[in-house]
Amino acid sequence: MTPKMLLLPILLPAALAAILLLLPRTLRLLRDVLAVAGAAVLVYYGFVFFSVKDLRYAVPWLGMGIDFDLRLYHFSSFILLALAGFLILITLYATVKMKDAPRGREFMAYVFLTAAFANGAVLANNFVPLVFFWEGLLVTLYGLITIGGRPTSGRTAVKALLISGFCDFAMILGIGLLWTVSGTATMSEISVEPTGLAAAAFVLMMIGAAGKAGAMPFHTWIPDAATDAPVTFMAFLPAAFEKLLGIYLLARVSLDFFKIQPGSAMSILLMIVGAVTIVLAVLMALVQTDLKRLLSYHAVSQVGYMVLGIGTAIPIGIAGGIFHMINHAMYKSGLFLSAGSVEHRAGTTELKKLGGLRRDMPLTAFGFIVCALAISGVWPLNGFVSKEMVFHGALETGYTVFAIAAWIGAIFTFASFLKAGHSVFFGERTREVPEVRESPPAIVLPILVLAGLCILFGVYNKLPLTLFIQPILAGHAEAGAPLDFTSHALDVFNMVALISIGCLVLAFLLHRHGFLKGGRKAHLASEPIHRLPGVHQLYDLAERRVFDPYEQGVKVLHGLSTVLFKAVDRPIDFVYEKIVTVTGSKFTGILKKAHNGHYANYLAWCLAGLIILAGALSLLAK
Amino acid sequence: MIILFVALPLVVAAVLPLVGKVSRRVLPDLLANATLVFLLVYAAVTGRALIAGGPLLQQVTWLGEAVGIRLALDGFSLFMLVAVSLVGLAASLFAIDYMEHYGGKANYHALYLIMIAGMNGLILVNDLFGVYLFLEVAAIASYALVAFGLGHDELEAAFKYLALSVVGSSFVLAGIAVIFGMTGSLEFGAVAAALRELDAGAVVAIASALFLMGFGLKAALVPFHAWLPDAHPSAPAPISAVLSGLLIKVSGVYAMTRIFLNVFGLTPALSAVLMVLGAVSIVVAAFLALGQKDMKRMLAYSSISQVGYVVLGIGLGTPLGIAGGLFHLFNHALAKGLLFLTSGSVQHATGTRDLDEMGGLAKRMPITAAANLVGALSIAGVPPLNGFWSKLIIIIALVQAGEPVFAVIAVLASVLTLWYYLLMQRKAFFGPLNEKWAAVKEAPFWMTASTVLLALLCLGIGILFASTVATWVQPAADVLADGVQAVTGSWGF
Repeated sequence: MTPKMLLLPILLPAALAAILLLLPRTLRLLRDVLAVAGAAVLVYYGFVFFSVKDLRYAVPWLGMGIDFDLRLYHFSSFILLALAGFLILITLYATVKMKDAPRGREFMAYVFLTAAFANGAVLANNFVPLVFFWEGLLVTLYGLITIGGRPTSGRTAVKALLISGFCDFAMILGIGLLWTVSGTATMSEISVEPTGLAAAAFVLMMIGAAGKAGAMPFHTWIPDAATDAPVTFMAFLPAAFEKLLGIYLLARVSLDFFKIQPGSAMSILLMIVGAVTIVLAVLMALVQTDLKRLLSYHAVSQVGYMVLGIGTAIPIGIAGGIFHMINHAMYKSGLFLSAGSVEHRAGTTELKKLGGLRRDMPLTAFGFIVCALAISGVWPLNGFVSKEMVFHGALETGYTVFAIAAWIGAIFTFASFLKAGHSVFFGERTREVPEVRESPPAIVLPILVLAGLCILFGVYNKLPLTLFIQPILAGHAEAGAPLDFTSHALDVFNMVALISIGCLVLAFLLHRHGFLKGGRKAHLASEPIHRLPGVHQLYDLAERRVFDPYEQGVKVLHGLSTVLFKAVDRPIDFVYEKIVTVTGSKFTGILKKAHNGHYANYLAWCLAGLIILAGALSLLAK
Repeated sequence: MIILFVALPLVVAAVLPLVGKVSRRVLPDLLANATLVFLLVYAAVTGRALIAGGPLLQQVTWLGEAVGIRLALDGFSLFMLVAVSLVGLAASLFAIDYMEHYGGKANYHALYLIMIAGMNGLILVNDLFGVYLFLEVAAIASYALVAFGLGHDELEAAFKYLALSVVGSSFVLAGIAVIFGMTGSLEFGAVAAALRELDAGAVVAIASALFLMGFGLKAALVPFHAWLPDAHPSAPAPISAVLSGLLIKVSGVYAMTRIFLNVFGLTPALSAVLMVLGAVSIVVAAFLALGQKDMKRMLAYSSISQVGYVVLGIGLGTPLGIAGGLFHLFNHALAKGLLFLTSGSVQHATGTRDLDEMGGLAKRMPITAAANLVGALSIAGVPPLNGFWSKLIIIIALVQAGEPVFAVIAVLASVLTLWYYLLMQRKAFFGPLNEKWAAVKEAPFWMTASTVLLALLCLGIGILFASTVATWVQPAADVLADGVQAVTGSWGF
């Protein structure tokens, strides 16, 4: 294992992307085989790298501290392995799901290009290569959304690009500040106290990382993309890759680059971002009528738990946040893939039109239910474990309000998944959807694998916690701080767990109440909350995107540009339009008139020119 | 063996009409292009090695007897040779398809090679009479080439071109006579040495004025420019490309620069006059270009304007100004050659040169449209294309030398340039497709290939401008910056 091998996770997918893009449509089989095989190689090397754990490849690059520096250590090798794992599942799924998509070839190529950039970003140990790979992700993000092919896809793609671009810009600014403060761009050497300029750098980099993960208020493109982009894309980027990358960077920022202390302003800022994201996004998720949109709001809401966990700056909270990241990537990817499976057979994901699919699509239903229970935090699945750890962390900081916010999130998460699962897989068959069959194996297999992992990571939570999570905290945990995850998490009979279980019961009662009130129609189960006085108006405003900073920003810019256009541009334009062009064309007209085609004239000019030149030269020569 | 640059095209040109009797198309095409490829490779690959140890001199002999022609190759002439072979080759490749409907390909290629030989000779000679001789060789071939279509317009344009060009040549001859009368010598080195001892300011001024008018007419500087917009558009497209891209630069700018900078030495008076001529050309021709409806006429006026930039840069006389001027000469040769070729493609496809009749051709001729855009943006000076860098160098040189007024003129005129080129691009290629051209097809292979070649060169040189300047332009600019020393010192036999 030479250090040069670290280039493999970057170069292999990049080369594959180029090949996949060039392969003609008729060689689709070869394309699929190549893609799955390439992903398998990456998974294999993911395990190899995970076992090696310590490798560094640095070559001088641009000078001035800017080196092409890749570093493999336990955290990056863990993320690398996770990325490769999701890549192969998504690739397998896409071979069926994107088969007849008009731009399926491009989809595969972009997926692998994304993987190349993501691997590079995870391995980068110098800010300049990091920014390079991080920005590369923007390009594929845009490309992948436009593949959705709906009339609004282009608009959503631009929205995603601008929002992510803003976050990246903030991150670059933060990196610049941090570089100034610390004097080095080598990431492994940086560790500063977040005060003064460094505090600004922290906030900017936090925006970059949390924005990539999709935390509020940088989330608004995700629900739009849920309907405008291919569902495979949703399972790939917003559900898995972006969470892994964003939370990876957030953890690096708050654990390595800056030493965030529990109870410090930075810690509280992070916790506020997390708590607000949890509650607001889950409330939006509750009232969605489309399965994909519902899932996308949860993809935002769950980021809140991760940010909250890391923000506690307490070992168990941080570990919970990171554990939640990998858990979330698994079940949310699984949920999106199940939604895709339903869409594949039933042709729709609208809750109203679906029902009773558990008999026709038992495997998809099983996968969905396991993942949905996991995300809701039902014992003994993985979501339960990581959420418990975040609750404990939040409580230990002494700010109970954050724990309460997290519990509120748990209530509505479960309620909305009861509604979704009930509408789609239980109840009566609807007339809108004809007889359907279970999806093909390439679609079902990834879902079942993810569901299986959810069970495994929940029941044997010791395995991921000791294997993946604990080493990341090595060197960060306070001396003597309790790092005994298992005793905290799996003990059902402690106060925290009992409150959590109480939340789930409450959610079930809420759902039952709404279900009965809505005339035994599951998709109306959230209506009682939706209709609450005051809340209803807020929901309406949110649906009209009043709270979307992007949409509001666009409106403000429109207004500003109108004012500028009327007050500044038009007068200037008048100067150009009337004064400059008229003078210009007058002058041109005179010159054209002089060029009348009479060569005698031209000759006369030449002679006049000669005389003037001779005169001028003689005069000047004296 | 630098005589090959002159002798080879002449010999091939002599053989071509005979070959034409055997094969009407394939062999003449092959032979002419192979000759140009050889010249390009010879100049570009071995040229720098030849002059590594200083200028290379060759005495031309005939049957063992020395004749009165001596050739010299230095950085400046090598630079020009490369430009001539490159653009000459592109235009000749273009002609493979384009000249198909004119007929008489063998004759065309023969005349074309004579013109190339004339230009190469002019670049290589090192005496004043040789300059005149090869000036006329190239010019006479070009008269015939402008008239090659034998239509009414072509004949009229050729006649007008001839009438004014002969005036220019005769003034050059008069200038040579004055110098010969004063110094009793024609060779650059001897003339330069003699002039330094003579101290005859006024007579040199008269000779300079005669040369300025003669070469200025060839280079189409305002006010000696009026023939060019008639002559260049009427010629077949590859000839327009070579006339605008090469001939005015070789027989005008090169000859003028060589004589003024290396033989006379650039006096402040000459410098001032050159810069004023350049600036006036830039502005007047840019306005004239703006008013044109005929695509090739617009390009022709643009040539006048861009030669103004070259003369402005060289006339400034600082090493940076000279380098900028020469780099712009090269870039303009590429880009203007490219634009005349694309305009030829358009004319070939639609039969018109009127911009108002075109419209939306990008939908039918995407490659031509893209190449045209590259050329237009390059001349207009849009980064990262080559024209941007050369204009930038000229402007920086002007500012450094304390000539802010000229710098501002150069900047403002480049806005005008961008304006009329965007006008051209929009009217011809963008916008809705004129239904008349619904059946139009992309130009044939060789025409497209040669335009793409030039467009790629514009782009590549723009990106690699630093190494291009260091490899080709700087040695040429060094020769000019050395002034009189360049020919009196190392050129002696």
